[in-house]
Amino acid sequence: MAIPIESSPPPGWEREGIDGLLGLFPPGRLSEIVGPRSSGGSSLLLALIARITTSGSRGGSQGGGQVAFVDGMDALDPASAAAAGADLSALLWVKCGGRLRVALSAADLLVRCPGFALVVVDLDELGPMPASAHLRLQRAVEGGDTILIIRSARHREGSPASLVLATRRLAPRWMGLRPITRLAGLRSEVSIFRSRSSHTLSPLGRGQGEGQGRRWTLDWTL
Amino acid sequence: MTRIACLLAVNEPARPALLRVALAHSPRVEDAGADRVYLDASGLAGLFGDEPRLAARLRDAAAAAGVESRVGIAESRIAALAAARLGPGVMIVEPGGDAAYLAPASLSLLDLPEETATRLSRWGLRTLGELAALPTAGLFERLGGDGVRHQRLARGEDPRPLVSWRPVPLFEESAACEWGLETLEPVVERLRELAARVCTRLGAAGLAADGFEWACRLGDGRLHEGALTPAVPITDAESVGGLLRLALEARPPRGVVEALTFRARPVRVAPAQESLTDRSRPAPRLLTATLNRLVALVGADAIGAPALLDTHRPDAIALATYQPYPSPLRGEGRVRGEETRGAETRSEETRGEAPALALRRLRPPAPASVTLASGRPVAVRSGRLTGRIVAGVGPWRVSGEWWSPRPWLQDEWDVELADGTLCRLAHDGSAWRLEGIYD
Repeated sequence: MAIPIESSPPPGWEREGIDGLLGLFPPGRLSEIVGPRSSGGSSLLLALIARITTSGSRGGSQGGGQVAFVDGMDALDPASAAAAGADLSALLWVKCGGRLRVALSAADLLVRCPGFALVVVDLDELGPMPASAHLRLQRAVEGGDTILIIRSARHREGSPASLVLATRRLAPRWMGLRPITRLAGLRSEVSIFRSRSSHTLSPLGRGQGEGQGRRWTLDWTL
Repeated sequence: MTRIACLLAVNEPARPALLRVALAHSPRVEDAGADRVYLDASGLAGLFGDEPRLAARLRDAAAAAGVESRVGIAESRIAALAAARLGPGVMIVEPGGDAAYLAPASLSLLDLPEETATRLSRWGLRTLGELAALPTAGLFERLGGDGVRHQRLARGEDPRPLVSWRPVPLFEESAACEWGLETLEPVVERLRELAARVCTRLGAAGLAADGFEWACRLGDGRLHEGALTPAVPITDAESVGGLLRLALEARPPRGVVEALTFRARPVRVAPAQESLTDRSRPAPRLLTATLNRLVALVGADAIGAPALLDTHRPDAIALATYQPYPSPLRGEGRVRGEETRGAETRSEETRGEAPALALRRLRPPAPASVTLASGRPVAVRSGRLTGRIVAGVGPWRVSGEWWSPRPWLQDEWDVELADGTLCRLAHDGSAWRLEGIYD
């Protein structure tokens, strides 16, 4: 008896915490991470990059997926990426020097090159991103296995993103008591701002808007 | 009976010239270092006459190539080397006479390891003849197999055959244009034709190329040169042609092209089978084209795989070549001239820990104006952000490379602004900078 694939929850659906969160991003779809400064958006991206570049590997770089990072503001800190567990040799870093048009062109080239497990377009406060660019990237990534994520400070109305995660800063964590001596980390909240994925393997795929409003509280450690 | 000639440069290393001279006289040549080559001198009498004539001819040919040399011919390499080094300039050791010729020679001829040389010296041995005369069993007990091997060499017994050296074939094609080419399209087409010929030759030799170069001679005598490096070694003429077109469109020759040359850097690629469990990677041909388009878009110095340099200097990073297909022919330390830290090691160390907080770097760090109260920053103003500081820790002093011409030192503060932004400030003794924002 054939079991409809929709009736089988995908792996990771029931998992909580960051593992469940990182499994949300649908392949072949445009996703967004939006949030203000110091809200944990970049940390979330690096955690996802670490997960992808090291998945399937056994202490080497050959088994993990390849990630392209289009860095609009040249802000990537490779030391942070390595601390997050990312395999830097599996990361293609494209520095765009604060030029939005160049970043979008680079992203367009990369999503049309099948084989990257993840393409990140980190725009931060660069923008605003034209609606046509959103659509173009969404069309380019459709039908493939690449996860496309745009990281920006603000969500743009009318974006065709299938999944929008919003990050919110809760509180920094300090070490030491009167006086504090060291920054230990940051507590932030990630929520599903919008989900309209129809991808069958997505936890959100069993109906548009399902999972919307779900929240994760994450502790990032320095 | 094998006869071996040693061609030894007298004054300075001259490997290429020596190899050229040797190959012009014998099909079997061994590259034995910067100052010497060995060649198989057996059966050359029909071509060059007897051995003294061959030796004299070798020396004259080396002199014509600008290398002062000495020549020795014997049955073993060690005896040929001794004849070249100790003889009058051209020395022939008669067949069967290697052991007797070597007997008075110094032990230093063997290039012994320091420990062995010291040991033999303590035993009172000075010459090869004295080493050759020792009982082999006793020598084996004291020095092992290496001792016996050295003794056999001292007796003129050299069982190892010549390791034949072959010159790297030149994969280059050139064409002259009867009429000068003024527009880009015919230049691209001619270069594609040359590339196709080179790729055919590469394929026939079972090689691939990891780099291509071309040069166009312009009408005014100038030279327009270009190069491209594919992401993986390739031989596919169509791919190379596509990459050529991209590169030439990005940087076309400025003038009338009168002649073209195209060459490839050949490499031998060991076949490797990928694991079924590996994640997919971009197809080499498509990736190469994409990387070349990206280079044209952002510049070659703005694309690559990030690598951490082996220093604690803040933001000490480099861009290494992005190579998703590790090749056994390429080195792992892909940042030339710099030591890099292994990212994989760090990944192993950090895997399983709490997720890491990321720092977003400002490059270059933004100059900041910081207000202090009791030595602690209470407000910051910079082009990127401005605000009152509500919490902060520091100063954490970091410094290094005080022993080098480029020492560095700075005090770092992690601060929280009133709007909740967490950032890192640094003070190098003269000015404040905003280094990054935690996110």
